[in-house]
Amino acid sequence: MNLHHLLEPFQYRFMVEAMLMAALIGGTCAVLSCYLVLKGWSLMGDAISHAVLPGIVLAYIVGAPLAVGAFLAGLLCASGTGWITNHSRLKGDAVMGVVFTGLFALGLVMFTKVTTDVHLNHILFGSLLGIERSDMLQAVIAAGLTLVILAVVRKDILLYLFDANQARAVGLNTTFLHYLFLALLSLTIVAALQAVGIILTVAMLIVPGCIGLLLTDRFGQMMAIASGAAISSAIAGTYISYFLNGETGACIVLTQALILTLAALFGPKYGILSRARAARQAAARYDGV
Amino acid sequence: MIELLLTPFYYEYMVKAIVVSGVIGGVCALLSCFVTLKGWSLMGDALSHAIVPGVAVAYLVGLPFALGAFASGLLAALVMGVVKSKTRIREDAVIGIVFTTFFAAGVLMISLFPSNISLKTIVLGNILGIADSDIIQMLAISAVALLVVGLKWKDLLLFAFDPNQAQAIGLNTTRLNLMLLALLAATAVAALQAVGAVLVIAMLVTPGATAYQLTDRFGRMMLLACLMGVVTSMLGAYISYFLNGSTGGCIVCLQTIVFLVVFFFAPKYGIVAARRKARRTTDALLIAGDAQPVPALRGL
Repeated sequence: MNLHHLLEPFQYRFMVEAMLMAALIGGTCAVLSCYLVLKGWSLMGDAISHAVLPGIVLAYIVGAPLAVGAFLAGLLCASGTGWITNHSRLKGDAVMGVVFTGLFALGLVMFTKVTTDVHLNHILFGSLLGIERSDMLQAVIAAGLTLVILAVVRKDILLYLFDANQARAVGLNTTFLHYLFLALLSLTIVAALQAVGIILTVAMLIVPGCIGLLLTDRFGQMMAIASGAAISSAIAGTYISYFLNGETGACIVLTQALILTLAALFGPKYGILSRARAARQAAARYDGV
Repeated sequence: MIELLLTPFYYEYMVKAIVVSGVIGGVCALLSCFVTLKGWSLMGDALSHAIVPGVAVAYLVGLPFALGAFASGLLAALVMGVVKSKTRIREDAVIGIVFTTFFAAGVLMISLFPSNISLKTIVLGNILGIADSDIIQMLAISAVALLVVGLKWKDLLLFAFDPNQAQAIGLNTTRLNLMLLALLAATAVAALQAVGAVLVIAMLVTPGATAYQLTDRFGRMMLLACLMGVVTSMLGAYISYFLNGSTGGCIVCLQTIVFLVVFFFAPKYGIVAARRKARRTTDALLIAGDAQPVPALRGL
């Protein structure tokens, strides 16, 4: 095990490209995950990432870019869930479950009826190592667009998500912001799907935000920590998967989960150990009195 | 024509698939009533993904897959409980973290030790190729689940509606919580082979959500949900023969269609009924001499 051996992955173009893609997608997902985790929308990512399937198949049939179809189906899922929840006596979580599984099932049935060169396996589990040029370009555009738009309306969206009334009072168009945020989420998911697949996209949209939440109380810092954790675990996970010869997306998510566990245990303020120590010290002080 | 419609019944594997789907659909539908009331839709989602590593391990070691799956489902539920009580992360995020991590672990294991299970079968199910031993496992799980629900449904109902009240009258809510979780995990395991990990969620949510819009009585809700689960599952399996495609997809599409029809046309809680009622109320108000229709009602 010498240095040369450790550097081996970097000598392959596909490995370097995979790491860069994973870092880009992981970073973008991480930024969104901060909003999702704080707002309590963690599973919106889950729903949308499943619901894009019929859109992908339809886009293939029509000959449109897959990302466009996926994006529209994602929006349909988000707005459909909202509309049905507002007009029925069901709880939001149940409606979301019905809508996204319905769309996913529709996608599956459609998928078996058309012969495509889109591999279901790629959509379900991603194929970071075999990602094609055109997909890569789409992902870069989608991620770039999301980051730029988010940078522009960052404060407005933050205000809307945490205090919609206040946002309305200061004159923001909250309906527009709501759909803008969902659109950005769909866009990111589309970019991430081809790289890591549906279920691991869900992880990338939750875990980094939680890491940030465990380590800080400030939103800006939380975002920085989340992106840092996501980017480093994207690179590390891809790197490790080369040696393990195992699924890349899974390695990335497990690396993220490891960082989360460490943060939950050793976080300076909210970590389990430091809380226990603080409780012990408080008890000792109390005894001393 | 009739000949053509009857063809699926000439094949043993089709008959088996139809019957097994019906049983599973019914059991899942029964549980979906509790899931809908308790607001646990995401728990079904989580458990159905979290059982994947258990399936992988069971196959590698040579244990019955149901055992591994069940154990890993319960482990996931346990981990969720611990993480939720020990950190400041919200419950929905905890669920998301735990199930995706479990799923990732399963994916990694399967990619590291290639065996004759394919990830695609786990995620999408394959009822047409189901082995007889698996059918027996599924039927046994379903029977146990039915028995437990049959014996304990009143306690479970009270627990789902009002855990405090359940505790106050002396029920052991921790045990009921665990029981409901175990039932969910067991049915998710049973349904896994029929429709796959993703569509299990639909079977565990949609029938209950549909029935909830039709009635206010829990007994009737269970009955309606069960009926819907059994019929859509059998019909879905039957239709999939002609579409030559995804059985799970057909079943869940049917369930979603029924849900949407009910959502629009349910006699009391449907969109159409609500509109009509709103109109009638506005008319009544107008006749009664109110100059302006109430805007909030008009907007319904």
